[in-house]
Amino acid sequence: MLKKTTIDKLPDLAAHLMEQGTLLAPVQEAAGFNFQVIADAKQVDLNFHNTVLSPKAAFFPQMEDFVRYQTGKSILEAVPVELNLKPTFLFGVRPCDVKSFTIMDIHFSGTGLVDPYWQKRRQAATIFGYAFDLDQPAQAEEFYKTLGIGAADPDGSDVFMIRKGGDLLLKGVTLKGEKLLTQLSLLTAASADEEKYFEDYIIRGRDFKTRFTFLADKNIAKKLEDIFHDSDFWMKVSGACLSCGVCTFVCPNCYCFDICDETLFSQGIRRRVWDACMFTDFTLEASGHNPRTQVFQKLRQKIKHKYSYHVRKYGVISCVGCGRCTKHCPVNIDIFSIVEEAMKA
Amino acid sequence: MSSNNPYIPMPVEISNITNEVDTNDIKTFRLTFLNKEDEKKFKYLPGQFAELSIYGKGEAPIGIASSPTEKGYVEFTVQRAGTIVPGLVTAALHNMETGGKIGLRGPLGHPWPIEFLEKKNIVIVGGGFAFTTLRSLINYMLHPDNRSRFGRITVIYGARTPGLLLYKDELAAWGKREDIKTIITVDKGDETWTGREGFVPAVCKEVAPSPYNKVAVICGPPIMIKFTLPVFFDLGFYKENILTSLEMRMKCGIGKCGRCNVGYKYVCSDGPVFSLAELEELPRDF
Repeated sequence: MLKKTTIDKLPDLAAHLMEQGTLLAPVQEAAGFNFQVIADAKQVDLNFHNTVLSPKAAFFPQMEDFVRYQTGKSILEAVPVELNLKPTFLFGVRPCDVKSFTIMDIHFSGTGLVDPYWQKRRQAATIFGYAFDLDQPAQAEEFYKTLGIGAADPDGSDVFMIRKGGDLLLKGVTLKGEKLLTQLSLLTAASADEEKYFEDYIIRGRDFKTRFTFLADKNIAKKLEDIFHDSDFWMKVSGACLSCGVCTFVCPNCYCFDICDETLFSQGIRRRVWDACMFTDFTLEASGHNPRTQVFQKLRQKIKHKYSYHVRKYGVISCVGCGRCTKHCPVNIDIFSIVEEAMKA
Repeated sequence: MSSNNPYIPMPVEISNITNEVDTNDIKTFRLTFLNKEDEKKFKYLPGQFAELSIYGKGEAPIGIASSPTEKGYVEFTVQRAGTIVPGLVTAALHNMETGGKIGLRGPLGHPWPIEFLEKKNIVIVGGGFAFTTLRSLINYMLHPDNRSRFGRITVIYGARTPGLLLYKDELAAWGKREDIKTIITVDKGDETWTGREGFVPAVCKEVAPSPYNKVAVICGPPIMIKFTLPVFFDLGFYKENILTSLEMRMKCGIGKCGRCNVGYKYVCSDGPVFSLAELEELPRDF
């Protein structure tokens, strides 16, 4: 059943959720919007297009502590860090970013050994997806339509939200989401007209215009395999790349990480931290051998991993077209254009 | 791996250290489990590896050198790394003594395809330090419970100098057995060396094993691999019947951290054992 509240009452809704657990929602920061743990319900702000960083940190934090220990002491005294998670509400996630979670699920918990940190954080979370504003044009970098994602797709959300003027319409997509909405007493029932508006909006979202090129997963995967050795192509498209790695840090689907030991005086922590295939020492072996030293090799790895290797391994492209990599690249490298070029090469 | 968390190492104790070579930079560490349940859970086959874990230093992926037929311990032959980049873990390990405690995560990766090797004649070719998981395989096949499952076993093993040969006592013992043919070669002998001199590829050519019902298992430095493979092609070995083990920088060892990604494979969880036919499908990115 469709529920509603008003944007004015957003702090009340936030306060209700904060009573039940941890609320992560978009907050305006100096550099733009980002998801933050909400301490003050009035911070929650839905007047954003999309966040600077993707919301992946909710499930895959930039730093995750595994074990605490004291240097010089026995391994038997090391203490694994337990995750004591409260229910988490991830509020206001755009449909393309919600899609990124389901793609990451395949890697972290759907195949092979299960990553316990990802799985526990996912299980503790309720996702409030939030449709893009269809009355505003998509940003120039976005291309989620190319990847089959609509601007108002509720798939993957537990609750899906659409804004209608000063109102916020909320619908339970999963049983978990539906149950939560029935508990939130400040929500009122929406009218039949609003129900229709909600359903029409989802359909309209599918036709919402972003950059688009026809891209069959298997075709692009094969094409990129075929041009692996075309160094001229890869050097041309990576000519300006600084290997700074910002594209991987803002990406909702980049999951490479390092496991490192950090010590200060006698205190030590083994933790994982985000890492990037764009960094030179990423593949540097102890022998000194490094299979990817040149910039073009690293950018080739990044693009092929997303559009080719991932398709062959997991059956899905590891990109949701959010456009963050292009938007934040300091030298204007545009992954969409490279993929388009690759299809023509 | 500890409890249900694949990132948490289980505690082990160094019960024995063997200095393998005269350059003192390769040692075999025998590890015993401090928790008996961990020992029961650590079920492995030759060809698999594990992460050796030292808090404050880090982790290093190392092939298992012992055979699962050896009970009560697991062995790793570790080279002190760091001619270009200092190897924190291997240096710390080399400075440890018997009784020292470290962590162990594993077993990881896929083993040599034992079922595929059954009833076949096996040619094992090793070079230098890359002989550790081959030693595991040889000892596994030679065990009285297993020997009848495999055909003829031929081992061709080479090192630069006699002092750099690993597992010297075992090599000598294999040399006396009837059920394994052992050919040891060094690039250059010393005054005490009475054995064969010559590079591994040349020795393979000389020995010229027939490809009939045979599998070649080859591990060694890239230069040895480069010149040995054509010998086996010329002899008529199928690419599916030439097996090797790949190395890439690794961290998690369970196919999550993305570091050892080559093409659509993760070397840690899809390998490290690959046939030459499988490797030819991958981009030359390793």
